[in-house]
Amino acid sequence: MTINLILEITNLEFSYKKEDPILYNLNLKLKEGEIFSIHGSSGSGKSTILRLIAGFEKQSKGIIKINNKIVSDKNNFIPTEKRNIGLVFQDKNLFPHLNIKNNIKFGIINHPNSSIIVEDLINLFGLKKLENKYPHELSGGEQQRVAIARSLAPSPKLLLLDEPFNGLDETLKNELQDEMMKIFLEKKQTIIIVTHNYNESKFFLSKISELRSGRLQLVDL
Amino acid sequence: MKVFRKKTISFWNILPIIVLILFLAPIIFIFTSLFSNFNDNWNHLYNYVLIEYISNSIYLILGISFLTLIIGTGTAWVVTNYNFYGKNILESILILPLAIPPYILAYTFTGLFDLNGTINIILRNIFIFDSNFILFNNIRNIYGAIVVFSFTLYPYVYIISRTAFLSQSISLIEAGRTLGLSKFQVFHKLSIPLIRPAVIAGLSLVIMEALSDFGAVEHFSIVTFTTGIFRTWYGMYDLKTAMQLSSLLLLFITFFILLEKYSRGNQIYSKPGGSSNRYKMKKISGLKSLFAFSFCIFPVLIGFILPMIQLIFWSINYNLSFFDKKFIQIAFNTILISLLAGLICSFIALLINFSLRLKKTKLKIYINSFFSIGYALPGLILAIGILKFFSTIDDLFSNFILTGSIFGLLIAYLIKSYALANSSFEYGFTNISSGIDDSAKILKSSGWNLLRRIHFPLLKTSFLTSFLLVFTEVVKELPATLILRPFNFDTLAVSTYIYAAEERMYQAATPAIAIVIVGLIPIIFLSKMIQNSKVSK
Repeated sequence: MTINLILEITNLEFSYKKEDPILYNLNLKLKEGEIFSIHGSSGSGKSTILRLIAGFEKQSKGIIKINNKIVSDKNNFIPTEKRNIGLVFQDKNLFPHLNIKNNIKFGIINHPNSSIIVEDLINLFGLKKLENKYPHELSGGEQQRVAIARSLAPSPKLLLLDEPFNGLDETLKNELQDEMMKIFLEKKQTIIIVTHNYNESKFFLSKISELRSGRLQLVDL
Repeated sequence: MKVFRKKTISFWNILPIIVLILFLAPIIFIFTSLFSNFNDNWNHLYNYVLIEYISNSIYLILGISFLTLIIGTGTAWVVTNYNFYGKNILESILILPLAIPPYILAYTFTGLFDLNGTINIILRNIFIFDSNFILFNNIRNIYGAIVVFSFTLYPYVYIISRTAFLSQSISLIEAGRTLGLSKFQVFHKLSIPLIRPAVIAGLSLVIMEALSDFGAVEHFSIVTFTTGIFRTWYGMYDLKTAMQLSSLLLLFITFFILLEKYSRGNQIYSKPGGSSNRYKMKKISGLKSLFAFSFCIFPVLIGFILPMIQLIFWSINYNLSFFDKKFIQIAFNTILISLLAGLICSFIALLINFSLRLKKTKLKIYINSFFSIGYALPGLILAIGILKFFSTIDDLFSNFILTGSIFGLLIAYLIKSYALANSSFEYGFTNISSGIDDSAKILKSSGWNLLRRIHFPLLKTSFLTSFLLVFTEVVKELPATLILRPFNFDTLAVSTYIYAAEERMYQAATPAIAIVIVGLIPIIFLSKMIQNSKVSK
């Protein structure tokens, strides 16, 4: 029986223009429902790994496969919008001109059941009272809920989280982590989480790795 | 399974190239005329008037540069460094003369200062002078033109100098003082050299505007390149020689375009690092305050207040049928063509900037900055280039009749006004974080979908600004409209020109006032920006 790999990265190398590579010989395999976290100091290239998987950057060497399909190698490059992944940014990047409901609906506007999906997510994330508000009217924690709900709406095979709890106070962070954990487990969501906080990784019961000198090393805590 | 990347020709990469061809065609047609034979008309121009064209242009450049430099930097220095009675209002209204195109100021100057002009009559009546008394003699000469251009174009130097003065840091000035420089030495050894690149950029804009002008020099009967080109084409029906003359003027203009670009590149000198706290403004009162007020109000009085009073006086006293049928038709034509040009130019600028946003290639960046020099091309030259371009297409494809259609006008306006539209969108796009685009792409939105659902709604203000700026510019544009307009299609600018050319100044007043009122729209925008820059400082 073949294992259904959601993500497979082989011998990945990346450098910005003519600078020295910041990622070398990077390998990673992720099965369905797995949660994998990446740690590293700032500037170590951990967010770059997410950008490469998302298709915002192109690696200089190596292969990236999503759901057993090559999305990026020497000859092929599938653009971001066709990779069926979700990404929650550190800055949330909610669309300022759309209310919460329409922000969540953005990626599934042509889906026949878009209204039902949005309604479910709004209820799941406790956003019912906020659905007609605009992003600038929300607190940091509320914005983060919306950002995660929006990324889950198109049912991505793989969800990438870039420092998702950054800037939130401890109480709010713990609350949000609890909620997210329940939702992720319920949806059997495959996730890569980039964070500088080991507690967050431990909380999500994830495989933990450290990005050191451009290479990923598994950490046993 | 391998998925191969499709290498399709994207609309977003092709669009800038198509627009580039549209921009280049008239210019190429003008320059190719230099490689054809020079006929008898050219020989006549070369032997008898070309030297006069060149010398008049040089006199104009020197005179206008001198006056605008004094008015522009002088007023900027006073309002930036001194606090006096009326300073806050003056700071904003000093740019009002920009609303009056040089040709309208020239017409009102004739009415105000000519032999039997309003000022001479008022002086005779007040002081009961003899009817032969004349304070202002003939102003329809090169000196009159220098005054007219200087008092309508000095705001270019004022705006740019004021920004540069504001950005000079106190620490630098204080360093000068600690090194033993007096206040005056600080001014002329530090402040002035620091803003020199900015001032040269402002002066280059003024010179390009003056060299491109047709209406004012024509009204003052001064022979320059533009009047020569117009007469050669309109009087002698010799398009080829007109194009050859245009090539020479274009070379002149190119020099100033390069000078302006180079000076802008060096404006960094006027933005020294470190503390940007400025000197506290010095409060002045009494005679000093009166002098500062008079010095700053004088250019506004000459460049805006008096001409407006003259226009209103003419309009009310001599043209009571303000909204007659003809005026309404002309106003409708103007609004229609300006509306079309405003929309088309803004859409093209939006699409090209979006194409740059999608993928910034060196080629696209060069092409976009090339488009922005269109503002410097004289309308007359553009019109002649487009005319030749269209007549060539008409000859090649007998089914086409582009010459004399509205398309020529629209292309000329697009080339002339693209820089205005582009600057609005460039600014707008910088305010949208690239993370927003990334989020949209992750959610399967790209290309037109991304533009329609994300960028366009977020750029509504930029679109409106761009539209208004282009609209205003088109309302004021005279030479291109005069030559390229379809038969019997008059606009406010054309109608003002025709009335003024027939010395029917009273009839010219009504469309002229309408042009100035429309011209005030971007001035109000600019004024707000000036106020904001002061607040942010």
